[in-house]
This record gives sequence, C-alpha cells and structure tokens, in this order.
Amino acid sequence: MTALAKRQRTPATAVVMFITALFAAAFLFPYLYLILSSLKRPEEVISSSPTIVPSVFTLDNFRTMFDVLPIVSYFGNSFMTSICSTAISVFLGSMAAYGLSRLHSRLGNLFIMLTLGVRLVPLISVAVPMYRIINRLGLYDTKLALVLVYTSINIPFVIFMMIGFFDGLPKELDESARVDGCGRFGAFMKIILPISLPGLATTAIFGYMLSWNDFLMALMMTSTSAKTVPVGLSEFLTAYNLDLGPMTAAAVTFSLPVMLFSFAIQRYIVSGITMGAVKE
Amino acid sequence: MTRNDRKAALLFFAPAAVFMVLFFLYPMALLIRDSVFDSKTGTRFVGGDNYVNALTSERFYLSLYNTVIFVIGAVTIELLIGLVLALLLATGFKGSQLTRTLFLSPLMIAPLVCGLIWKFMLNDQFGIINSILYRLGILNSPHSILWLSDSKFALFSCMIADVWLTTPFMMLVLLAGIQGIPGSLYEAAHIDGAGRSQRFWHITLPSLKPVIVVAVLIRMIDAARSFDIIWILTQGGPGFSSSVLSTMIYNAMARYNQTGYASALAVLFMLAMLLVCGFFMNRVWNPGKKEV
Repeated sequence: MTALAKRQRTPATAVVMFITALFAAAFLFPYLYLILSSLKRPEEVISSSPTIVPSVFTLDNFRTMFDVLPIVSYFGNSFMTSICSTAISVFLGSMAAYGLSRLHSRLGNLFIMLTLGVRLVPLISVAVPMYRIINRLGLYDTKLALVLVYTSINIPFVIFMMIGFFDGLPKELDESARVDGCGRFGAFMKIILPISLPGLATTAIFGYMLSWNDFLMALMMTSTSAKTVPVGLSEFLTAYNLDLGPMTAAAVTFSLPVMLFSFAIQRYIVSGITMGAVKE
Repeated sequence: MTRNDRKAALLFFAPAAVFMVLFFLYPMALLIRDSVFDSKTGTRFVGGDNYVNALTSERFYLSLYNTVIFVIGAVTIELLIGLVLALLLATGFKGSQLTRTLFLSPLMIAPLVCGLIWKFMLNDQFGIINSILYRLGILNSPHSILWLSDSKFALFSCMIADVWLTTPFMMLVLLAGIQGIPGSLYEAAHIDGAGRSQRFWHITLPSLKPVIVVAVLIRMIDAARSFDIIWILTQGGPGFSSSVLSTMIYNAMARYNQTGYASALAVLFMLAMLLVCGFFMNRVWNPGKKEV
C-alpha cells in the first residue's frame, strides 16, 4: 500500500468516495439498464419514452427468446468450442512455453518474438485466409473449425503468459523429478503443471473469454449448424422487425453467468490483466 | 545444455508450432499471395495493382484517418478517466476494494454485447441516452441527436462504447502500477514539504511512466484492431463516416467478395501497425534509454 492509503479519514476522503461513486454509477449503468430492460414487457423495451425501471417485471422476453432463436444450440456451440479450444491451447501452449523456457536458444527467442508479433496482427487480416483454409479442409460451419481457429489464436497468448511463469521455476525441480524416475514429459505433467496451477487458471480464464466473446471468426466460419451466441445475437439487428426485447434477454443470458463467475474469481482476473503490463 | 535436452525442448514446442504454422503463418503467407492476385478469380497475377488501387482510393485514406482518430480519441479518454479512477481508488478508502471489483464488470462483456448495449441506448427513437439528456434539459427533444445515423456523431458514438468497455482495463493496470510505487518515496517527499500536487507530478507520474506506456501501447493495438463494436453500431456508416480499416477490409471481403483487394488492404494494415509499434517501442519505450 502507498503512503496515500495510510492517511487518515478527512473530508477529502468523502469527496474522493463521492466522485468514485459517480464514476462507478456511470460505468455500471449500461449493463444494469440492459438487465432491467430484459425484464420489461417486450413492447416497453421499444417505447419511445423509455424508463429505467420496468413498469412491470416479467420474464416474457426470456420466453420469446426461446421461440425466435435456437438459443440452446447456440449456447451449446459457444460452450463446446470455447471449452475445447481452451483446453487444447492451454495444454499445448504451456508445453511449448516450458520447452522454450528451458531451451533458451536463438530459435526459441525468435518464436517468443513471433508470439508477441501475433498480437499486432489484426484478426480481420488472418480471418480471410483462415476461412479459405477451413473451407478447403471441408470444415466450414463445423464446431471443429472454430476449435482449430480459436486454439491457434490462443496458443501464442498462452505461451506469452506461461513463459514467465516457468522461467520462475527452478531447474532443480525438473532434475529432482527426473532423478525420481520420471521421463521429461512425466516430470512436466506430474510436477511442473500442478505447481503452475494458479498461472494456468489465469491463462485458461483469458483463453476462454477470448473464444466465448469472439464474434468475427464465428461470423466468418459458420452459417447454421455451428453458429455461436454472438453471431445469433448480431442477427437481431438485421431482422425486419426490431425484436429488441428477446435481444436484451439473450444478451443478459450470454453475459451474466460469465460476469458473476468473474466476481468469484476476480483475484485471477486482476493478476492476468496486470501480468503483461506491470512487472512485479 | 546437451543435445538431448535441446531435442526434448523442441519436442515440447513442436505440437504448438504445428498449430501456429498451419493456422497462423500459412494464412499470413496466403494473405500476401492473395494480395498480388486479381480480385475476381484469384488466379490472375496482377502484381501491385491491388495495392495501387488501395493507395489511390479516397476511402482508404478516410478509413485510415478514422482509425487514427478512433485510436487517439478513445485511448486518450481511457487514459485520463483510468488515471483519475486509479488515483481515487489508490487512496484506499473504505469500499475501494468493492468498487474496484465492480469496475471489472465491463471487462467481462463481449465487445459484441457492448455494441448491442450502446446501439440500444443511443438509438434515436427509443434510446435512453437522448431521453435522459432531454429530461435533464440539455436537449430540446428526445430525438434530436442521431448518435448513430448522423455522420458527425457516428465515430464518436463508437468511441463512447469503446471507452466504456476498456477504461476499466486502463484503471486496473494503472492502479497496480500506483500500488507498486514504494511508500518511502512519498514519505520522503512529505518530509521535504512537497504538497499533494507536487507529489503527483514528481513521484506518481514519473514512477508510473513505464506502466502508462505499456498500457497505452496495448490499448492502441487493440483499438486499432477493433471490429465488433464499430460493426454492430454503425457498420462503418452512415456513408463512410465511421469506416475504419477493419470494417473496410471486412466489407471488401464479405460484401463485395474482393479477395485480392481485401488482402492488399490487410497487408497494408499490418505494415502500418508494425511501423507504428516499432516507432513507439523504439522512441518511447527503449529500455536502454530510460530516463528514470
């Protein structure tokens, strides 16, 4: 804590609290308004004199959501592709990060640079050729296509996050595991990975968020059977009638569980966000 | 390190490398190849024609200009609000932990959902924003600002949504940076009689500089690449008033099916990003040239 924190309670503290509360209210308002709107009657959502609080609280929008959208299948697709791509990319990415961390060669450094460079590439640029490759493989509109694409986008990120973590683990650990009769891979699986669980958890959360929140790749790679929730949601805007009521319901259903989960595991999220930018 | 160790390390790396080559490097190579072939059939070699078309098109410069305005506008506002919030939370008042947690929430929201929320709130028929401004007496009519369909406001509206979504990121990173400044620095300054603002200008800001640079760089890259929010809010319109490079590439690709042209635009976009980031890292963030 800084010295600022040690200062005693003064009228200034009240001012600070007041200003912070104003900012917090402004930042929370849009999402709260979305939630409140989803609980309005469908016609009230598109009223030309909108109110913040619903006149009647109802779940009508959530009911219609099931009628206008194959929402269950969209959620299934979102969930499956996110889980699979996160699992594969965290596993392969941390293996790679471990290899790179122990290798320390010029080739290794080149790949580390490359993983950083991937962040500079606008996804829209690779989306087009990725789409063509997926098409050529006959995987268009399959969940496997999205898993492959998300995995390859996630891997450089996992490597970037995990390499610092493994660098911090003493090499004696690997050696003692091998003395005890593990192979290299066994040592990695039985000793290194379990020790790195906090780092792996953080990385997995971010990898999952990246896949779960993706819109562009899913928009390009799917049409009907592998469509994810974000693509389904975006279609409310092209629909002839403005079905905004069910849209708000679907947006809440899509984002609220993640939001609540994130409050429960906020420690990992904060550490993940600050990991790249602030060196401890 | 023995040769055996070396081989083992490479084996660890191999599966990930296969993925990266197949679904990242190969697409990049394909992108560069596509950019020198014609847009219609993709089989006729046209050399630099697509690049010439891009570099002589007014729309390209408009999109480039909009991208730059969007990045500078959004990141500046995010930095300012983020810094103010971080300083406020760093005072450690009762409830600051809880407030920090609340500020996490927009970070978990998909950019697409953020776009939908703001599209909904900024709507000129039934949007709450105009309605609130009207009730506060700022507007004469609840329908007077066409946030998304007036070319004067469209890009600005996209910035508002981006600021809402990512200021919390700025705030968290800066807060972590502030909390990393040793308290002894402040105590020493206090003994020397430095006032609050002097402590801010002479201790907080200089110590925070590396963190600010990294945070701004990360945000600049992401803002330049952003697609979802702008696509959902305006699709680059009305006209081309909020067209940025990513929506322009998407349009060329998905709407007009101009693979070659879209690829050339994408290559130019990547080159621009590399140039700007290279310049930024060399000039501002060269660890060897650090002043502090």
